[in-house]
Amino acid sequence: MIKADRQQAPRPADPERKLGDEGGPSKPDIGRPSAPNELLKRMKNVDPDQAKKYRQRSGE
Amino acid sequence: MPRQAFRQLVSLLSTQTKQNRSILAGIDTEYGFTVEGRDVKSQADDSIAFVRSSPDEGFLSWDYRTENPRQDMRGFQVERLAYDPVDAEFDAGRARPPAAEERSDRVLSNGARFYNDHGHPEYATPECWTLADLISHEQHGDQILTQAAQTYAKQIEREVKVYKNNTDFHGSSWGTHENYLVPRSIEFAKLARAIMPILIARQVVSAAGKVGSEARGPVKFQISQRADFFVEPMNVETLFRRPIFNTRDEPHAESREWRRLHVISGDSNMHPGCTARKVGLIKLALLLVQQDHIPEWDIPDPVESFQLVSRDAIGEGRVNLEGRNWTTPRNILESYCDAADQADIADPEIHQIIAETRQLLHDRHSNPDAFWPQVDWAAKIWLLNQFAESGEGWDQATMQALDMQYHLLDPQEGLYYGLQDYLSLPSINPGNKPPEGSRASIRALILQKFRDQIETLSWSTIRFKSGQQIYLDPSKWYELEPDNVESIEDLIQLLKL
Repeated sequence: MIKADRQQAPRPADPERKLGDEGGPSKPDIGRPSAPNELLKRMKNVDPDQAKKYRQRSGE
Repeated sequence: MPRQAFRQLVSLLSTQTKQNRSILAGIDTEYGFTVEGRDVKSQADDSIAFVRSSPDEGFLSWDYRTENPRQDMRGFQVERLAYDPVDAEFDAGRARPPAAEERSDRVLSNGARFYNDHGHPEYATPECWTLADLISHEQHGDQILTQAAQTYAKQIEREVKVYKNNTDFHGSSWGTHENYLVPRSIEFAKLARAIMPILIARQVVSAAGKVGSEARGPVKFQISQRADFFVEPMNVETLFRRPIFNTRDEPHAESREWRRLHVISGDSNMHPGCTARKVGLIKLALLLVQQDHIPEWDIPDPVESFQLVSRDAIGEGRVNLEGRNWTTPRNILESYCDAADQADIADPEIHQIIAETRQLLHDRHSNPDAFWPQVDWAAKIWLLNQFAESGEGWDQATMQALDMQYHLLDPQEGLYYGLQDYLSLPSINPGNKPPEGSRASIRALILQKFRDQIETLSWSTIRFKSGQQIYLDPSKWYELEPDNVESIEDLIQLLKL
């Protein structure tokens, strides 16, 4: 068996990020070349309320 | 370069052979859908009619006798499976058809299965030896759903839209399940210990992303569609009290020899590279556990860790360990990749998945332009940010609408397909022929040659009206040409060879 202890780190002293923090990607750490107009147009054609109306049965 | 890497993957995935196959696997996907002018109360009936609009009518006599979803791998059986009481209210007062009619189960000509499951049309791929075959058949499912939707829409003269996602943003979830053939000789505790860490960690290179939260407090965006819905580390449930590690013991094969690892914690992927990666990483863990090369990770609260990883789209994510230690999903994934160096793995697809995973883990923060086009959640958030920065800002409801649209199975309007065009990602040919070498090829052959003589079908067994029956050993490599089989007797003899 391989011991996977090489990468373990102690818990940091600073406050932990809790579930429920606003840990959202207001500025996500990903690249941002510009989307072409075609793609933006496709997004702007989406009904902004469609998710509000989207209700489904609970499945597996 | 992302496009080159994906082409390389597709190219390599198509060079598999009988000799280096590793683990038989399949994927069953439940799809979300909407029907113009109708709501969730009629979804169960719509789903039945939807499935009956299949472009491939298939064969309709599925045999449920070998199925028992209440049996637990830990050696007991639950009396009944839990159900969602809120969802159950939709069935109150509804006249339900007999079970077989409600399921409308059918085996398709490629050996796949298509049916209604809890109000969702569900496509189960045929069993595949290779990742190349699996992603091809998974794409075929999307094609079947799209065609069925078009037929159903014409029939009822209403618009029908299909979404390959796993949540409605209002607390309902439905699944995309993976299935892996595993020898019974791997004891349960060892199997669970091998798989749990990678289920938590693989999210960062394979999950589909979600705007918002449906449990555990608010978040703008998270990596996984499904993370909010897991409440226990392991159990046999799938509809309610869902676990990260599902313990259902329903092997669809000789139970003394085989288990079926039933993974329910993954997301539906639009990007076929993510589908290959999420399955390939589980195959890697299974190959390592068979050779006693599994890294040891003690994760005391897998549910918390799964959700912590999902909710960190910016950082590296965090997995809490025993003894007040913690690690990252990257460390876990790299430990499995490192362990492969000491194992004997012949399957070239797994080596490709390892190389690709290592590269993606490196690129996530140091070269994000190479990362986001390869991973659904990152591609989705790239799109959302493009929209926000075009002057629209970040409005949660609008972002959820765009999130939905990413999963829409419509090449003209779906956002994933728009991205696919923009990035010139190669598309995968949907697999309408049975996968090479798997027992599904025999199921398909029997459908083609002896359809009128079949009494019932299941994953493992075909019963004929004559009383004859054939058990399809899932571990075998099958090579039979339909032209060489003239009778059921011929087939039985040839399968003995």
